[in-house]
Amino acid sequence: MRCTDACVYPYPLGDSTVRRMAQEAGELGFDSMVAVGARGCTYKGVEVVGGTIIQGRDQREVQAAMRRIDGNPGILMATAGDYTLNRALLHVGRVRVLQGIHATPKNSFDHILSKMAAERQVAVDLDLSLLVSGRDYARQKALQRYADLAGLQSRFGFPFTLSSGARSILQMKSTRDMVALCGLFGLDEDGVGGALLGIAKILRPEKAVEVVE
Amino acid sequence: MKPRPPTMRGKRRYILARLDPPSVAVSGRDLYYAIAESLTSLYGDSGMARIQPSVVSCTGGYAIIRCIRSTEGQVSACLAAVHQVQEVSVAVRSIRTSGTMRSLRQHLAGMKPRVPCGEQDAYFQGRSWTGVQYPGAKVDLFEKGFKNQQPLFLTEEDLEE
Repeated sequence: MRCTDACVYPYPLGDSTVRRMAQEAGELGFDSMVAVGARGCTYKGVEVVGGTIIQGRDQREVQAAMRRIDGNPGILMATAGDYTLNRALLHVGRVRVLQGIHATPKNSFDHILSKMAAERQVAVDLDLSLLVSGRDYARQKALQRYADLAGLQSRFGFPFTLSSGARSILQMKSTRDMVALCGLFGLDEDGVGGALLGIAKILRPEKAVEVVE
Repeated sequence: MKPRPPTMRGKRRYILARLDPPSVAVSGRDLYYAIAESLTSLYGDSGMARIQPSVVSCTGGYAIIRCIRSTEGQVSACLAAVHQVQEVSVAVRSIRTSGTMRSLRQHLAGMKPRVPCGEQDAYFQGRSWTGVQYPGAKVDLFEKGFKNQQPLFLTEEDLEE
């Protein structure tokens, strides 16, 4: 798991089945992907990790949504909100990825939350579909937020994940395309490489001491 | 008037891009307009003038795009941001960058053709579809009786289930 597309939406949320998306991801240079609403499997050498997105306006709604989850949710991703909600989401142990930071107020993710995210190994997701489908102000705002997050990440070292946010194989991006798109907000090739490893880092965190045979 | 010697001409780079889905026929002119729109939206008119993009060829599901040297990264970003050509959903994926068209054409000659390997009637989710098969067990489904609709993208295993 060295190169992961951190969020795709297969059929019925999109127009492509999870197998076809996995096949396409393999051709685009990925070895794994997180598919919302899908079960974990491996198809043509590409590891598919299931994912669940929870959304709530405050901590209570988030916890209620988490209680409703039955079975194995895979990677639990939460939609970010204001500062209080983001802080609460970082405290909830089960949430592994914060999504949708671009749509939150500018002060909703600062140096304190960055440090907390780094300590708890909660990743922040950069959804590249906004840079593709967004226009004018929406795209400019997303680029500004991503550039700001890239600065915080280089200082505090919390994990990044990169997602295509694809609902179709036509919206999936290759690793080469991701490098080009991330260049728009100043994330260099090494940064992109680290972000593509983000899911692996949160699923299999490095231990202080590890026995290597 | 003497032509400008090669050493005094502007240096160019050529980008080979794949167009998906293969069933959509995109003309070079439409692709150029989509790229120009994307470039102008990302880098503005001055960027567009500096980059000088042009679609050199667009056949068989592949396109070769020319730009000024050192702007190929910007063109790759703009290609990744193209999602529609003439209001049809299309993906433009840059594959390779080169200083000559010849090397791109040599690379292209070594790639597998992207032609359909069959067509069949299919029944999926309680509806009738026309399935177009591609190498690698890929199947694109087009619903019968509807024009200009977006296809579904499956594999043969999905159809068998």
